[in-house]
Amino acid sequence: MSNTIETVAGQTTTGETAEERQAEWIEYDFAGDPKIAVEDLNVWYGADQALQGIDLEVPEHSVTALIGPSGCGKSTFLRSLNRMNDRIKSARVEGSVTLDGEEIYRDDINLVELRKRVGMVFQSPNPFPKTIRENVAYGPRKHGAIDRGLIARLRGTDDRDAEAALVERSLRQAALWEEVDDRLDDNALGLSGGQQQRLCIARCLAVDPEVILMDEPASALDPIATAKIEDLIQDLAEDYTVVIVTHNMQQAARISDQTAVFLTGGELVEYGETDQIFENPHSQRVEDYITGKFG
Amino acid sequence: MTGTLTVSRDGVGARAFTDLGTGVLGVAILSFLLAVTLLLQWTGPGTEVFGVTVFSVLGTGLLLGGLGLVVEGLVSRAGVVGTTPDHTPGLVTATVAAVAAAAVAGLFLSQTLGWEGLWFVGPAGLPIGVPAGWSPVALLVGSAVGALTATAREDLGATLPFGGLVALGGALIATGAIGVGWQWNLHDVSAVIHGAQAVPFLAVVLSLVLTWAAAKAREGFGAQGRERAAFMFLGLIAFGMLSVLALVVTYITVRGAGRAFQGFAVGLDGIRWPFVTNGTTFGAETPDGVYPSIVGTVWLVIGSVLFAVPLGVGAAVFLTEYADQGRFTAVVEVATNALWSTPSIVFGLFGYALLVPRIGNRNTLLAGMLVLGFMLLPLVIITARESLKAVPDEYRDASAALGVSRWSTIRSVVLPAAMPGVITGIVLGVGRIAGETAPLILVMAGGLNQDSGSLFSPDLLQGGQALPYKLYAIITAGISGSSEFGWATAFVLLLVVLGFYAIGIGSRLYFRRKLNE
Repeated sequence: MSNTIETVAGQTTTGETAEERQAEWIEYDFAGDPKIAVEDLNVWYGADQALQGIDLEVPEHSVTALIGPSGCGKSTFLRSLNRMNDRIKSARVEGSVTLDGEEIYRDDINLVELRKRVGMVFQSPNPFPKTIRENVAYGPRKHGAIDRGLIARLRGTDDRDAEAALVERSLRQAALWEEVDDRLDDNALGLSGGQQQRLCIARCLAVDPEVILMDEPASALDPIATAKIEDLIQDLAEDYTVVIVTHNMQQAARISDQTAVFLTGGELVEYGETDQIFENPHSQRVEDYITGKFG
Repeated sequence: MTGTLTVSRDGVGARAFTDLGTGVLGVAILSFLLAVTLLLQWTGPGTEVFGVTVFSVLGTGLLLGGLGLVVEGLVSRAGVVGTTPDHTPGLVTATVAAVAAAAVAGLFLSQTLGWEGLWFVGPAGLPIGVPAGWSPVALLVGSAVGALTATAREDLGATLPFGGLVALGGALIATGAIGVGWQWNLHDVSAVIHGAQAVPFLAVVLSLVLTWAAAKAREGFGAQGRERAAFMFLGLIAFGMLSVLALVVTYITVRGAGRAFQGFAVGLDGIRWPFVTNGTTFGAETPDGVYPSIVGTVWLVIGSVLFAVPLGVGAAVFLTEYADQGRFTAVVEVATNALWSTPSIVFGLFGYALLVPRIGNRNTLLAGMLVLGFMLLPLVIITARESLKAVPDEYRDASAALGVSRWSTIRSVVLPAAMPGVITGIVLGVGRIAGETAPLILVMAGGLNQDSGSLFSPDLLQGGQALPYKLYAIITAGISGSSEFGWATAFVLLLVVLGFYAIGIGSRLYFRRKLNE
């Protein structure tokens, strides 16, 4: 046990050198171009390094799970993919992240466009204190895809029907439509936690993103709501690229196509097909973590 | 009694103990209510109930209540009624007892015996050099009572001193020793306190003390007793505050409504309300009114709100959402708070020196609006900042993750969520500026019968009237009938301010409902 604790602290144990640890790293290989490619990504919060030289490629139309103990940087990594880390003042990012081959850490990147293409669902449900309809239509309204402004309404040219169709489509995709179709103009804060989280997913889908980042989307929910979200995530993978952070290893095993294991200190220790990671990990430390010896 | 969940309060004795406690508590609360009505002059000291003056009723009630409290304490100490007292009544109770004892002793020595209050100068016969006079003796008595109270068991310490105090006060009032004819001459300040005012005040204090102690005793002391005592005590104080508020409003209404509604008529030709629709004409045949002042006050509030709210909310948004939280925002925060506590006459002087020379070199309504706007600005900034900070960051994150720009997020998510708090701030500020007088004297006031335009078109560049300034001017003018006119003006001012409050509260409810339903 003491050995593994030292491992957590990032010191070499059992005679393992840094090179050998590097050698444990097995490149995950898949056919086709990656949707997201991360190269040598380092993130600091002030003087603390949260991520160390991450390399990772995410295939399109799949579910990628990021697992690891608390404080291992998996949420930081997720937030680097749509530059939400920019909103944290002390955060500093080095390295490269490309979306469809296009570098997102460029000074002239359009953050609005990036976040429209890379949507995000947060750990705790955070619907706006508005109606269900307004929540779903929020993104398209703000982006001008749907015009419900006063002038358009007075001229009779507002996109009422387009909005209704969009709201229904998004809520159906998020498996929430049947539960709320008769109260779209009620405040979203009146929904249960699981419904709120699916509403947040619908709100994200309404912007028609290509990638959906999920930061422990089911951790605040009960088992039934969690099961619904998990089913939903697998359905979404047919049309979207999903990257999900989770604490729950069973969840990662159930829903993901490939799994990346982060361990303390902000390192990516192993990345591969989910079955391989859970049944036959190459790294001793990953096996220790998965079998519950630490973490 | 530790170890058992239910306190054994059965038996005839225990029931009688509780009943007596209920009785004492009831007497205490009734005395408080009676004393409050006397204090607020809803009933006069001459009122008689079944042939007995109201002071006698009050005094007898307090006397009996105090004695009942003493009996409660003694019975509980005898240990026959299953109470749960602590081993000490606690420091707060002891301190209150000590202060009360010191006050009683000091008053008795100085007022009844006529002792001097100084050290080393005792009454005749005592050698120079011996500490004497009422103050050291009162201090000694107070300390002794405090020490005794603190060391006694709770059922004695929390009842005997207070029961004795209340019974003593009640006896003095009941026997008329302190009554309508009683006077207390304060030689140093050449003021006289009359019994008619002293008795209700004394009775309010005594009945509060009695309520507190009796509530403790009735619940059998201990934690449960103190809980109930705190509840009753704070409840009565809250009630007292409410009745003061009610008194202010009713007093002004009673004094002012008669004159304000003089000539009021609702007929086929509409509503006639001379006091509100007429100007001040002095001696003309039509009844005088305060129309120009109402117009002035309404436009002042509208103008200053229009000036201060956009600026204030804008500044708050910048400081909270855009500026780096650091030394700059801290300095601005301190400056805003200081500005809010700046005396209004200073703002008036600022307007007099800076605005008046630049706006036609005369007192104008516009200058008044701007000065009051400056006064309103800090409060709007402070409250808007607080409510913006209270908006959860999750909303901002969620909006950013949807690719919505920061300004768009502020407009459609952050500001609506902060709106109820912002409106509360504006409402509070409007209450202050609508009643502001001092700066208006310097920057706005015109002659007593100056017009301020109409409710539909203000004379921005003319001097004008406002209700509080009108009140001040008319009272100090000392013309005949000015007192009634003043009260009526105060009544109308109250109505105008309440009207603005109603608008504010209504819009706050609207925004709150939008957020939650």
